[in-house]
Amino acid sequence: MNKLLLMILAVVAVLGLSGCKIVYDEDKDTTAIPDGPEGDDARNAQRIADTFDSQLLPLIRDKALPVAELRAAVTADLDAAGEANANRGSGRGAAWNFPVSGTGTVIEAKLDSRARALSLDTDNDGAADLTLQLGPVIRGTALRDAAPFYDFDEFRDQIEFAKLSRALNDRIPDLVTVPEGDLIGTSVSFIGVVPLKKADEKMMVTPIEVTFGS
Amino acid sequence: MKFTKQIVGAAVALGLMSAAVSAETIAIITPSHDNPFFKAEADGAQAQAEALGYDTMVLVHDDDANKQSELFDTVIAAGVSAIILDNAGADASVAAVQKAKDAGIPSFLIDREITATGVAVSQIVSNNYQGAQLGAEEFVSLMGEEGNYVELLGKESDTNAGIRSQGYHDVIDQFPDMKMVAQQTANWSQTEAFSVMESILQANPDIKGVISGNDTMAMGAWAALEAAGRTDVIVVGFDGSNDVRDSILAGGIKATVLQPAYEQAQLAVSQADQYLKTGSTGLDEKQLMDCVLINGDNAGSLETFALN
Repeated sequence: MNKLLLMILAVVAVLGLSGCKIVYDEDKDTTAIPDGPEGDDARNAQRIADTFDSQLLPLIRDKALPVAELRAAVTADLDAAGEANANRGSGRGAAWNFPVSGTGTVIEAKLDSRARALSLDTDNDGAADLTLQLGPVIRGTALRDAAPFYDFDEFRDQIEFAKLSRALNDRIPDLVTVPEGDLIGTSVSFIGVVPLKKADEKMMVTPIEVTFGS
Repeated sequence: MKFTKQIVGAAVALGLMSAAVSAETIAIITPSHDNPFFKAEADGAQAQAEALGYDTMVLVHDDDANKQSELFDTVIAAGVSAIILDNAGADASVAAVQKAKDAGIPSFLIDREITATGVAVSQIVSNNYQGAQLGAEEFVSLMGEEGNYVELLGKESDTNAGIRSQGYHDVIDQFPDMKMVAQQTANWSQTEAFSVMESILQANPDIKGVISGNDTMAMGAWAALEAAGRTDVIVVGFDGSNDVRDSILAGGIKATVLQPAYEQAQLAVSQADQYLKTGSTGLDEKQLMDCVLINGDNAGSLETFALN
């Protein structure tokens, strides 16, 4: 099993280095990766290798709306803003997932947790208006649902789909470094994704980039 | 449209009642209504179908795939226009749904997936995994990210038991100070959960929380904890039943996760209606429906598997 995985990873690595576009190959896939739940992780590893750096991160960076602009757009018309700038998670009741960028001042820092988070003031009124997740435990499925190319129909079931989200979230700690010491009052810039079901919902951002300023 | 109505009106006027009332029929097939969850589902579908002008045939398969197959034969023979189904097995149901499709009758699935696509028109399933993650996040937070806890598992043969357990652990296992001291099945049963909880408590008096695969087991566990004077223990369930809502409001169980069963069934009927009228739902076949965390903040708005 481990050997097989290593082989798959090696093939992926070689194809990646040679600059080839990796095309999802159903015939090959059924022989290389088991169809059932035992193949979930391998299929998701492949999906991430195919898309994370090449498609997902660029998509979020390119489409990120400044937070003030986003706030105005969703207040005016959430669905219209979503159609124009976001991707909706699969199915009913799912949130619009907006790529967003911004800078704020740290009002509150919850760092004694596995799910660390900063409360930021991004509109200079002295009050926190946005939560920035710092991990290592990242809540929600914002990264997966920000991308139109992860289509639930192409997944074996909701478990495989959920595992992709978890695997994507697990990449965040590598992208975010939190400095030591007291962060209250410092300036923080971020690019990430915010899921919104309602226009007035409190923003909770899953970041792909966080920069700590002065 | 107006023309049709006039014809129907004329038919009624002429006393041709049978011709006039042979409206299209939607069959609604679910597990036994003994569980209020499935009752809510069937009620939601029926109400929506009737609101849209359909007759309904409401049937239960009791989680028996053979019985389900017979029911499909019955409704196909009856010439229904569409079937709303909460199925009796992810693999076993594919053939039944295919049989209906071959007879030109579209099926719209709710609550549980089947293992094939392209056979049913829609598969609208509760996102059990997402719901379990919500419940687990609340549980971890209530526990202060640390302490000994117990997990009560559902019936092993039911895929949702495994999905929920995996969703719980996907979140909880990321917190190294959360320690599971017992994990046991109580088969979705309240009485079984009571006795399981009693014996677990004797072996592990130092527990701080219980996370349960559904609400009926959460109710059983809470009763055992209350009997032992351990109302300090944090209990979280799953389903969003009225019983657990009442317990939350009374300060007992701390949280649960609502599966919007009523709305899901209504949605399936609306898609069936759309499909029958236009030949397409305009939507993907597989549709997830998000679950909603229920705690003291919103329990008061919960009624019969719907948030008002």
